[in-house]
Amino acid sequence: MPAVLHQIENRAGDAPAEDWRAIAATLRRYVRARTSRADVVEDVVQETLSRLVHQGRVQKLLSVYALGFRIAANLLIDHHRRDSRYVAESGEETASLAPSPHRVLAGRQEVAILKEALAAMPPLRRDVLVRRRLHGQSCAAIAKELGLSAKAVEKHITRGLADLHKAMPGDTAAREAVR
Amino acid sequence: MTRDAQIVEEAAAWIDRLNRPVVDAAVGPAFDAWMAAAPRHREVIAELQALWQSEALVEALGQSRLAPGVATAPSVITDRSGRLRRAAPRFAAAACAMLVAVMLIVPALLTSTYRTNAGRGRSVVLGDGSRVDMSGDTELRVQILPWKRSAELVRGEAFFDVRHERVRIFRVASGTTSVRVLGTAFNVDRQSPTRTAVVVYRGAVEVGVAGETELVLNTGYGARVVDGHVSAQRRIAGGVPDWKSGWFEASDVPLGVLIDKVQRYSARPILLHDRALQALPISGRFHVSDTERALQAVQAAYHVDIAYGPKTIAIRPAGEADDR
Repeated sequence: MPAVLHQIENRAGDAPAEDWRAIAATLRRYVRARTSRADVVEDVVQETLSRLVHQGRVQKLLSVYALGFRIAANLLIDHHRRDSRYVAESGEETASLAPSPHRVLAGRQEVAILKEALAAMPPLRRDVLVRRRLHGQSCAAIAKELGLSAKAVEKHITRGLADLHKAMPGDTAAREAVR
Repeated sequence: MTRDAQIVEEAAAWIDRLNRPVVDAAVGPAFDAWMAAAPRHREVIAELQALWQSEALVEALGQSRLAPGVATAPSVITDRSGRLRRAAPRFAAAACAMLVAVMLIVPALLTSTYRTNAGRGRSVVLGDGSRVDMSGDTELRVQILPWKRSAELVRGEAFFDVRHERVRIFRVASGTTSVRVLGTAFNVDRQSPTRTAVVVYRGAVEVGVAGETELVLNTGYGARVVDGHVSAQRRIAGGVPDWKSGWFEASDVPLGVLIDKVQRYSARPILLHDRALQALPISGRFHVSDTERALQAVQAAYHVDIAYGPKTIAIRPAGEADDR
Protein backbone atom coordinates (compact mmCIF):
# COMPACT_ATOMS: atom_id res chain seq x y z
CA MET A 1 0.00 0.00 0.00
CA PRO A 2 1.59 3.30 -0.97
CA ALA A 3 1.91 5.93 1.70
CA VAL A 4 -0.55 8.73 1.15
CA LEU A 5 -0.25 12.13 2.69
CA HIS A 6 -3.56 13.78 3.21
CA GLN A 7 -3.84 17.45 3.73
CA ILE A 8 -7.28 18.38 4.84
CA GLU A 9 -8.48 21.89 5.28
CA ASN A 10 -10.98 22.18 8.04
CA ARG A 11 -13.07 25.19 7.43
CA ALA A 12 -16.08 26.40 9.32
CA GLY A 13 -18.27 25.90 6.27
CA ASP A 14 -17.92 27.76 3.01
CA ALA A 15 -18.35 31.52 2.89
CA PRO A 16 -21.97 32.50 2.34
CA ALA A 17 -22.85 33.29 -1.23
CA GLU A 18 -21.62 36.86 -1.70
CA ASP A 19 -23.30 39.28 -3.96
CA TRP A 20 -20.29 39.68 -6.22
CA ARG A 21 -22.02 42.15 -8.50
CA ALA A 22 -22.65 44.50 -5.58
CA ILE A 23 -19.07 44.05 -4.36
CA ALA A 24 -17.67 44.75 -7.84
CA ALA A 25 -19.83 47.87 -8.25
CA THR A 26 -18.74 49.19 -4.84
CA LEU A 27 -15.06 48.58 -5.53
CA ARG A 28 -15.37 50.19 -8.96
CA ARG A 29 -16.89 53.30 -7.43
CA TYR A 30 -14.13 53.45 -4.83
CA VAL A 31 -11.26 52.96 -7.28
CA ARG A 32 -12.76 55.41 -9.77
CA ALA A 33 -12.85 58.04 -7.04
CA ARG A 34 -9.17 57.46 -6.36
CA THR A 35 -7.73 57.42 -9.89
CA SER A 36 -8.69 59.05 -13.16
CA ARG A 37 -7.14 56.30 -15.29
CA ALA A 38 -9.86 54.09 -16.73
CA ASP A 39 -7.47 51.22 -17.55
CA VAL A 40 -6.20 51.13 -13.97
CA VAL A 41 -9.76 51.06 -12.60
CA GLU A 42 -10.71 47.81 -14.33
CA ASP A 43 -7.31 46.23 -13.60
CA VAL A 44 -7.55 46.96 -9.92
CA VAL A 45 -11.20 45.92 -9.60
CA GLN A 46 -10.66 42.59 -11.37
CA GLU A 47 -7.49 41.79 -9.45
CA THR A 48 -9.18 42.67 -6.15
CA LEU A 49 -12.15 40.43 -6.92
CA SER A 50 -9.96 37.50 -7.85
CA ARG A 51 -7.91 37.88 -4.65
CA LEU A 52 -11.09 38.11 -2.60
CA VAL A 53 -12.41 34.90 -4.13
CA HIS A 54 -9.08 33.19 -3.47
CA GLN A 55 -8.86 34.45 0.11
CA GLY A 56 -12.44 33.40 0.73
CA ARG A 57 -11.49 29.86 -0.24
CA VAL A 58 -8.49 29.76 2.03
CA GLN A 59 -10.06 31.30 5.10
CA LYS A 60 -13.32 32.64 6.39
CA LEU A 61 -13.37 36.39 5.81
CA LEU A 62 -14.69 38.56 8.59
CA SER A 63 -15.57 41.31 6.17
CA VAL A 64 -15.46 40.95 2.40
CA TYR A 65 -15.94 44.68 1.92
CA ALA A 66 -13.27 45.77 4.40
CA LEU A 67 -10.75 43.35 2.90
CA GLY A 68 -11.77 44.43 -0.62
CA PHE A 69 -11.05 48.08 0.15
CA ARG A 70 -7.71 47.15 1.67
CA ILE A 71 -6.62 45.01 -1.27
CA ALA A 72 -7.72 47.65 -3.77
CA ALA A 73 -5.87 50.38 -1.86
CA ASN A 74 -2.67 48.32 -1.90
CA LEU A 75 -3.04 47.61 -5.62
CA LEU A 76 -3.52 51.32 -6.28
CA ILE A 77 -0.29 52.04 -4.41
CA ASP A 78 1.48 49.38 -6.50
CA HIS A 79 0.16 50.93 -9.72
CA HIS A 80 1.19 54.35 -8.58
CA ARG A 81 4.71 53.17 -7.72
CA ARG A 82 5.08 51.37 -11.03
CA ASP A 83 3.92 54.44 -12.93
CA SER A 84 6.18 56.86 -11.13
CA ARG A 85 9.16 54.52 -11.58
CA TYR A 86 8.40 54.27 -15.27
CA VAL A 87 8.21 58.03 -15.62
CA ALA A 88 11.40 58.46 -13.64
CA GLU A 89 13.31 55.89 -15.69
CA SER A 90 12.21 57.08 -19.09
CA GLY A 91 12.93 60.70 -18.31
CA GLU A 92 11.60 63.75 -20.04
CA GLU A 93 10.90 62.19 -23.40
CA THR A 94 7.72 60.67 -22.02
CA ALA A 95 6.05 63.89 -21.09
CA SER A 96 2.80 62.40 -22.28
CA LEU A 97 2.82 60.02 -19.31
CA ALA A 98 2.76 62.89 -16.85
CA PRO A 99 -0.61 63.56 -15.23
CA SER A 100 -2.96 65.09 -17.73
CA PRO A 101 -3.80 68.80 -17.22
CA HIS A 102 -7.36 67.73 -16.59
CA ARG A 103 -6.32 65.44 -13.75
CA VAL A 104 -4.14 68.09 -12.16
CA LEU A 105 -6.95 70.59 -12.41
CA ALA A 106 -9.40 68.14 -10.88
CA GLY A 107 -6.93 67.53 -8.07
CA ARG A 108 -6.49 71.26 -7.44
CA GLN A 109 -10.21 71.79 -7.52
CA GLU A 110 -10.72 68.97 -5.06
CA VAL A 111 -8.18 70.41 -2.65
CA ALA A 112 -9.77 73.85 -2.92
CA ILE A 113 -13.25 72.49 -2.22
CA LEU A 114 -12.02 70.47 0.76
CA LYS A 115 -10.11 73.45 2.14
CA GLU A 116 -13.23 75.54 1.93
CA ALA A 117 -15.29 72.89 3.69
CA LEU A 118 -12.66 72.58 6.42
CA ALA A 119 -12.61 76.34 6.91
CA ALA A 120 -16.39 76.33 7.37
CA MET A 121 -16.21 73.75 10.18
CA PRO A 122 -16.11 74.48 13.90
CA PRO A 123 -12.38 74.85 14.69
CA LEU A 124 -12.41 71.97 17.16
CA ARG A 125 -13.80 69.60 14.56
CA ARG A 126 -11.14 70.67 12.08
CA ASP A 127 -8.49 70.14 14.72
CA VAL A 128 -9.76 66.61 15.42
CA LEU A 129 -9.66 65.77 11.69
CA VAL A 130 -6.12 67.13 11.31
CA ARG A 131 -4.94 65.09 14.28
CA ARG A 132 -6.69 61.93 13.16
CA ARG A 133 -5.99 61.91 9.42
CA LEU A 134 -2.85 64.02 9.06
CA HIS A 135 -0.99 63.06 12.24
CA GLY A 136 -2.54 59.61 12.59
CA GLN A 137 -3.27 60.15 16.29
CA SER A 138 -5.44 57.58 18.05
CA CYS A 139 -8.86 58.49 19.35
CA ALA A 140 -7.58 58.08 22.91
CA ALA A 141 -4.68 60.47 22.33
CA ILE A 142 -6.95 63.06 20.72
CA ALA A 143 -9.49 62.74 23.52
CA LYS A 144 -6.79 63.19 26.14
CA GLU A 145 -5.11 66.18 24.54
CA LEU A 146 -8.33 68.02 23.78
CA GLY A 147 -10.12 67.05 26.98
CA LEU A 148 -12.97 65.35 25.14
CA SER A 149 -14.68 62.02 25.59
CA ALA A 150 -13.97 59.24 23.08
CA LYS A 151 -17.57 59.53 21.93
CA ALA A 152 -17.18 63.24 21.23
CA VAL A 153 -14.01 62.62 19.21
CA GLU A 154 -15.82 59.99 17.17
CA LYS A 155 -18.71 62.35 16.63
CA HIS A 156 -16.38 65.07 15.37
CA ILE A 157 -14.72 62.70 12.92
CA THR A 158 -18.08 61.37 11.73
CA ARG A 159 -19.67 64.81 11.29
CA GLY A 160 -16.50 66.24 9.76
CA LEU A 161 -16.31 63.45 7.22
CA ALA A 162 -19.98 63.93 6.39
CA ASP A 163 -19.39 67.68 5.90
CA LEU A 164 -16.49 67.00 3.53
CA HIS A 165 -18.55 64.47 1.60
CA LYS A 166 -21.38 66.93 1.25
CA ALA A 167 -19.05 69.56 -0.17
CA MET A 168 -17.70 67.25 -2.86
CA PRO A 169 -19.48 67.32 -6.20
CA GLY A 170 -21.17 63.95 -6.33
CA ASP A 171 -24.31 62.47 -7.76
CA THR A 172 -26.78 64.52 -5.81
CA ALA A 173 -29.54 63.02 -7.92
CA ALA A 174 -28.97 59.65 -6.30
CA ARG A 175 -28.96 61.32 -2.91
CA GLU A 176 -32.25 63.08 -3.54
CA ALA A 177 -33.78 59.82 -4.71
CA VAL A 178 -33.69 58.14 -1.31
CA ARG A 179 -35.25 61.03 0.58
CA MET B 1 -31.95 65.21 9.25
CA THR B 2 -32.77 63.79 5.85
CA ARG B 3 -32.61 60.10 5.26
CA ASP B 4 -29.53 60.48 3.10
CA ALA B 5 -27.72 62.70 5.59
CA GLN B 6 -28.35 59.98 8.13
CA ILE B 7 -26.87 57.34 5.84
CA VAL B 8 -23.81 59.51 5.29
CA GLU B 9 -23.30 59.88 9.05
CA GLU B 10 -23.69 56.17 9.61
CA ALA B 11 -21.26 55.51 6.77
CA ALA B 12 -18.78 58.03 8.19
CA ALA B 13 -18.92 56.22 11.53
CA TRP B 14 -18.07 52.94 9.75
CA ILE B 15 -15.19 54.58 7.91
CA ASP B 16 -13.76 55.84 11.19
CA ARG B 17 -14.05 52.40 12.75
CA LEU B 18 -12.57 50.58 9.75
CA ASN B 19 -9.59 52.87 9.37
CA ARG B 20 -8.25 52.25 12.85
CA PRO B 21 -5.14 50.09 13.03
CA VAL B 22 -6.88 47.47 15.16
CA VAL B 23 -10.53 46.66 14.75
CA ASP B 24 -12.76 44.47 16.87
CA ALA B 25 -13.54 41.16 15.17
CA ALA B 26 -17.28 41.67 15.62
CA VAL B 27 -17.11 44.83 13.50
CA GLY B 28 -16.40 42.92 10.25
CA PRO B 29 -19.64 40.93 9.91
CA ALA B 30 -21.70 43.90 11.15
CA PHE B 31 -20.12 46.09 8.48
CA ASP B 32 -20.87 43.59 5.71
CA ALA B 33 -24.48 43.34 6.89
CA TRP B 34 -24.82 47.10 6.78
CA MET B 35 -23.30 47.17 3.29
CA ALA B 36 -25.67 44.48 2.04
CA ALA B 37 -28.70 46.35 3.33
CA ALA B 38 -28.92 49.04 0.63
CA PRO B 39 -27.17 50.12 -2.58
CA ARG B 40 -26.89 53.67 -1.27
CA HIS B 41 -24.92 52.39 1.74
CA ARG B 42 -22.36 50.90 -0.62
CA GLU B 43 -22.15 54.02 -2.78
CA VAL B 44 -21.57 56.34 0.16
CA ILE B 45 -19.00 54.04 1.76
CA ALA B 46 -17.07 53.80 -1.53
CA GLU B 47 -17.03 57.59 -1.83
CA LEU B 48 -16.16 58.21 1.81
CA GLN B 49 -13.39 55.62 1.91
CA ALA B 50 -11.87 57.16 -1.24
CA LEU B 51 -12.23 60.64 0.27
CA TRP B 52 -10.69 59.64 3.60
CA GLN B 53 -7.66 58.10 1.87
CA SER B 54 -7.27 60.76 -0.82
CA GLU B 55 -4.12 62.83 -1.24
CA ALA B 56 -6.37 65.84 -1.75
CA LEU B 57 -7.65 65.54 1.83
CA VAL B 58 -4.13 65.26 3.22
CA GLU B 59 -3.15 68.35 1.27
CA ALA B 60 -6.23 70.30 2.33
CA LEU B 61 -5.75 69.38 5.98
CA GLY B 62 -2.08 70.32 5.81
CA GLN B 63 -2.94 73.74 4.46
CA SER B 64 -5.82 74.43 6.81
CA ARG B 65 -4.83 76.91 9.47
CA LEU B 66 -5.67 76.06 12.99
CA ALA B 67 -7.04 79.05 14.83
CA PRO B 68 -5.02 79.98 17.92
CA GLY B 69 -6.49 78.57 21.08
CA VAL B 70 -8.51 76.05 19.15
CA ALA B 71 -7.69 73.23 21.49
CA THR B 72 -9.52 74.80 24.39
CA ALA B 73 -12.38 76.37 22.47
CA PRO B 74 -15.78 75.02 23.38
CA SER B 75 -17.08 72.74 20.71
CA VAL B 76 -20.50 72.31 19.21
CA ILE B 77 -20.55 68.79 20.53
CA THR B 78 -19.71 68.87 24.21
CA ASP B 79 -20.46 66.63 27.08
CA ARG B 80 -23.33 67.85 29.16
CA SER B 81 -21.70 66.79 32.38
CA GLY B 82 -18.46 68.42 33.46
CA ARG B 83 -17.72 65.48 35.71
CA LEU B 84 -17.91 63.16 32.76
CA ARG B 85 -15.65 65.41 30.77
CA ARG B 86 -12.91 65.24 33.38
CA ALA B 87 -13.14 61.48 33.37
CA ALA B 88 -13.28 61.38 29.57
CA PRO B 89 -9.64 60.68 28.79
CA ARG B 90 -9.73 57.62 31.01
CA PHE B 91 -12.90 56.36 29.35
CA ALA B 92 -11.39 57.05 25.95
CA ALA B 93 -8.26 55.10 26.79
CA ALA B 94 -10.35 52.19 28.02
CA ALA B 95 -12.51 52.26 24.89
CA CYS B 96 -9.45 52.21 22.69
CA ALA B 97 -7.79 49.49 24.72
CA MET B 98 -10.83 47.33 24.25
CA LEU B 99 -10.33 47.49 20.50
CA VAL B 100 -6.84 46.08 20.82
CA ALA B 101 -6.80 42.29 20.75
CA VAL B 102 -8.35 41.04 17.60
CA MET B 103 -7.38 42.02 14.10
CA LEU B 104 -10.02 42.61 11.47
CA ILE B 105 -9.06 39.87 9.10
CA VAL B 106 -8.49 36.83 11.24
CA PRO B 107 -8.04 33.53 9.51
CA ALA B 108 -10.82 31.41 10.93
CA LEU B 109 -8.74 28.94 12.89
CA LEU B 110 -7.36 27.25 9.86
CA THR B 111 -6.01 23.83 10.70
CA SER B 112 -4.10 21.59 8.34
CA THR B 113 -4.06 17.87 9.05
CA TYR B 114 -1.23 15.66 7.83
CA ARG B 115 -1.44 11.87 7.93
CA THR B 116 0.85 9.03 6.98
CA ASN B 117 -0.10 5.41 6.59
CA ALA B 118 1.74 2.57 8.23
CA GLY B 119 4.77 1.57 6.25
CA ARG B 120 6.42 4.83 5.35
CA GLY B 121 6.98 8.29 6.74
CA ARG B 122 7.01 11.60 4.92
CA SER B 123 8.39 15.09 5.28
CA VAL B 124 6.29 18.22 5.18
CA VAL B 125 7.26 21.88 5.12
CA LEU B 126 4.88 24.02 7.13
CA GLY B 127 3.66 27.50 6.32
CA ASP B 128 6.35 29.13 8.50
CA GLY B 129 9.19 27.21 6.81
CA SER B 130 9.59 24.65 9.60
CA ARG B 131 10.14 21.06 8.51
CA VAL B 132 8.47 18.05 10.02
CA ASP B 133 9.56 14.48 9.32
CA MET B 134 6.68 12.20 10.12
CA SER B 135 7.10 8.54 10.89
CA GLY B 136 4.61 5.99 9.56
CA ASP B 137 1.05 5.81 10.93
CA THR B 138 1.29 9.35 12.23
CA GLU B 139 -1.24 12.14 12.34
CA LEU B 140 -0.39 15.77 12.91
CA ARG B 141 -2.65 18.82 13.04
CA VAL B 142 -0.94 22.12 12.41
CA GLN B 143 -2.03 25.72 12.85
CA ILE B 144 0.23 28.52 11.67
CA LEU B 145 -1.31 31.84 12.65
CA PRO B 146 0.16 35.33 12.56
CA TRP B 147 0.64 35.27 16.32
CA LYS B 148 1.35 31.64 17.11
CA ARG B 149 2.42 28.31 15.68
CA SER B 150 1.01 25.12 17.06
CA ALA B 151 0.89 21.46 16.22
CA GLU B 152 -0.88 18.55 17.80
CA LEU B 153 0.56 15.08 17.50
CA VAL B 154 -2.63 13.04 17.39
CA ARG B 155 -0.67 9.80 17.09
CA GLY B 156 2.70 8.53 15.99
CA GLU B 157 6.07 10.21 16.02
CA ALA B 158 7.56 13.26 14.36
CA PHE B 159 10.85 15.09 14.20
CA PHE B 160 10.47 18.88 14.17
CA ASP B 161 13.04 21.23 12.73
CA VAL B 162 11.46 24.51 13.75
CA ARG B 163 12.39 27.68 11.96
CA HIS B 164 13.58 30.24 14.46
CA GLU B 165 11.32 33.21 15.02
CA ARG B 166 11.92 35.77 17.69
CA VAL B 167 8.37 36.09 18.97
CA ARG B 168 6.18 33.42 17.50
CA ILE B 169 6.41 30.40 19.76
CA PHE B 170 6.03 26.94 18.26
CA ARG B 171 4.09 24.62 20.51
CA VAL B 172 3.63 20.89 20.04
CA ALA B 173 0.97 19.11 22.06
CA SER B 174 0.84 15.37 22.55
CA GLY B 175 -1.94 14.46 24.93
CA THR B 176 -1.41 16.62 28.04
CA THR B 177 2.28 16.99 27.25
CA SER B 178 3.36 20.15 25.51
CA VAL B 179 6.67 21.27 24.07
CA ARG B 180 7.31 24.98 23.55
CA VAL B 181 10.14 26.34 21.45
CA LEU B 182 11.20 29.35 19.41
CA GLY B 183 13.48 27.55 16.99
CA THR B 184 15.16 24.21 17.43
CA ALA B 185 15.13 20.59 16.35
CA PHE B 186 13.47 17.95 18.49
CA ASN B 187 11.60 14.70 18.32
CA VAL B 188 8.19 13.98 19.79
CA ASP B 189 7.09 10.38 20.12
CA ARG B 190 3.53 9.78 21.17
CA GLN B 191 3.89 6.21 22.42
CA SER B 192 0.38 6.04 23.80
CA PRO B 193 -2.36 8.51 24.77
CA THR B 194 -0.70 8.97 28.18
CA ARG B 195 2.91 8.44 27.21
CA THR B 196 5.12 10.83 25.25
CA ALA B 197 8.88 10.97 24.77
CA VAL B 198 10.75 14.12 23.78
CA VAL B 199 14.38 14.38 22.65
CA VAL B 200 16.17 17.62 21.74
CA TYR B 201 18.73 17.61 18.92
CA ARG B 202 19.38 21.36 18.68
CA GLY B 203 18.56 24.32 20.88
CA ALA B 204 16.35 23.98 23.93
CA VAL B 205 12.69 23.29 24.58
CA GLU B 206 10.30 23.62 27.47
CA VAL B 207 8.36 20.50 28.30
CA GLY B 208 5.08 21.03 30.10
CA VAL B 209 2.25 18.90 31.36
CA ALA B 210 -1.31 20.20 31.49
CA GLY B 211 -0.15 23.75 30.92
CA GLU B 212 2.56 23.82 33.62
CA THR B 213 6.20 24.04 32.64
CA GLU B 214 7.98 21.04 34.11
CA LEU B 215 11.39 20.89 32.56
CA VAL B 216 13.73 22.72 30.22
CA LEU B 217 15.58 20.35 27.94
CA ASN B 218 18.86 21.28 26.28
CA THR B 219 20.53 19.79 23.24
CA GLY B 220 21.21 16.12 23.65
CA TYR B 221 18.70 15.54 26.43
CA GLY B 222 15.38 13.81 26.45
CA ALA B 223 12.37 13.47 28.70
CA ARG B 224 9.59 11.00 29.05
CA VAL B 225 6.12 11.90 30.24
CA VAL B 226 4.09 8.96 31.50
CA ASP B 227 0.64 9.54 32.98
CA GLY B 228 1.48 13.18 33.63
CA HIS B 229 4.83 12.49 35.33
CA VAL B 230 7.99 13.82 33.72
CA SER B 231 11.31 12.05 33.99
CA ALA B 232 14.55 13.19 32.42
CA GLN B 233 16.36 10.71 30.22
CA ARG B 234 20.04 10.14 29.75
CA ARG B 235 22.04 12.01 27.12
CA ILE B 236 21.55 10.80 23.63
CA ALA B 237 24.11 10.65 20.86
CA GLY B 238 23.75 11.48 17.20
CA GLY B 239 22.17 14.31 15.29
CA VAL B 240 18.96 12.67 14.16
CA PRO B 241 16.42 10.52 15.95
CA ASP B 242 16.83 6.77 15.78
CA TRP B 243 13.55 6.24 13.99
CA LYS B 244 14.77 8.08 10.94
CA SER B 245 17.22 5.29 10.34
CA GLY B 246 14.61 2.76 11.41
CA TRP B 247 15.87 2.07 14.91
CA PHE B 248 14.33 2.39 18.36
CA GLU B 249 16.30 2.42 21.56
CA ALA B 250 14.10 1.09 24.34
CA SER B 251 14.86 1.26 28.02
CA ASP B 252 12.12 -0.16 30.17
CA VAL B 253 9.49 0.55 27.57
CA PRO B 254 6.26 -1.50 27.50
CA LEU B 255 6.22 -4.11 24.73
CA GLY B 256 3.03 -2.47 23.45
CA VAL B 257 4.95 0.73 22.72
CA LEU B 258 7.67 -1.15 20.87
CA ILE B 259 5.10 -3.07 18.83
CA ASP B 260 3.35 0.23 17.92
CA LYS B 261 6.68 1.41 16.56
CA VAL B 262 7.19 -1.72 14.53
CA GLN B 263 3.64 -1.21 13.31
CA ARG B 264 4.52 2.24 12.00
CA TYR B 265 6.68 0.54 9.39
CA SER B 266 4.46 -2.43 8.64
CA ALA B 267 1.39 -2.38 6.45
CA ARG B 268 0.45 -5.78 7.97
CA PRO B 269 -1.47 -5.34 11.27
CA ILE B 270 0.41 -6.69 14.29
CA LEU B 271 -1.93 -8.09 16.92
CA LEU B 272 -0.97 -7.95 20.57
CA HIS B 273 -4.05 -8.52 22.68
CA ASP B 274 -2.58 -9.98 25.85
CA ARG B 275 -2.61 -7.25 28.53
CA ALA B 276 0.27 -8.65 30.54
CA LEU B 277 2.41 -8.82 27.39
CA GLN B 278 1.47 -5.27 26.38
CA ALA B 279 2.86 -3.99 29.67
CA LEU B 280 5.99 -6.20 29.64
CA PRO B 281 9.02 -3.89 30.10
CA ILE B 282 11.47 -4.12 27.23
CA SER B 283 15.01 -2.82 26.87
CA GLY B 284 17.34 -2.94 23.92
CA ARG B 285 17.96 -1.53 20.51
CA PHE B 286 15.50 -2.69 17.90
CA HIS B 287 15.53 -2.32 14.15
CA VAL B 288 11.84 -1.39 14.04
CA SER B 289 11.70 -0.62 10.31
CA ASP B 290 12.53 -4.26 9.60
CA THR B 291 9.41 -5.95 10.92
CA GLU B 292 10.64 -9.55 10.97
CA ARG B 293 14.04 -8.72 12.40
CA ALA B 294 12.53 -6.62 15.16
CA LEU B 295 10.00 -9.28 16.09
CA GLN B 296 12.68 -11.98 16.02
CA ALA B 297 14.71 -9.94 18.48
CA VAL B 298 11.70 -9.69 20.77
CA GLN B 299 11.05 -13.40 20.46
CA ALA B 300 14.68 -14.23 21.25
CA ALA B 301 14.84 -12.09 24.37
CA TYR B 302 11.37 -12.53 25.81
CA HIS B 303 9.00 -15.36 26.27
CA VAL B 304 6.63 -14.82 23.37
CA ASP B 305 5.30 -16.66 20.34
CA ILE B 306 4.94 -14.89 17.03
CA ALA B 307 2.61 -16.25 14.37
CA TYR B 308 2.89 -14.86 10.86
CA GLY B 309 -0.50 -15.09 9.18
CA PRO B 310 -1.25 -14.10 5.58
CA LYS B 311 -2.82 -10.79 6.59
CA THR B 312 -1.79 -10.27 10.21
CA ILE B 313 0.99 -10.99 12.64
CA ALA B 314 -0.07 -12.23 16.10
CA ILE B 315 2.01 -12.03 19.25
CA ARG B 316 1.04 -14.24 22.21
CA PRO B 317 2.54 -15.49 25.44
CA ALA B 318 4.82 -18.46 24.69
CA GLY B 319 3.24 -21.88 24.93
CA GLU B 320 -0.32 -20.66 24.58
CA ALA B 321 -2.31 -22.85 22.22
CA ASP B 322 -2.94 -21.51 18.77
CA ASP B 323 -6.68 -20.98 18.91
CA ARG B 324 -7.15 -20.17 15.25
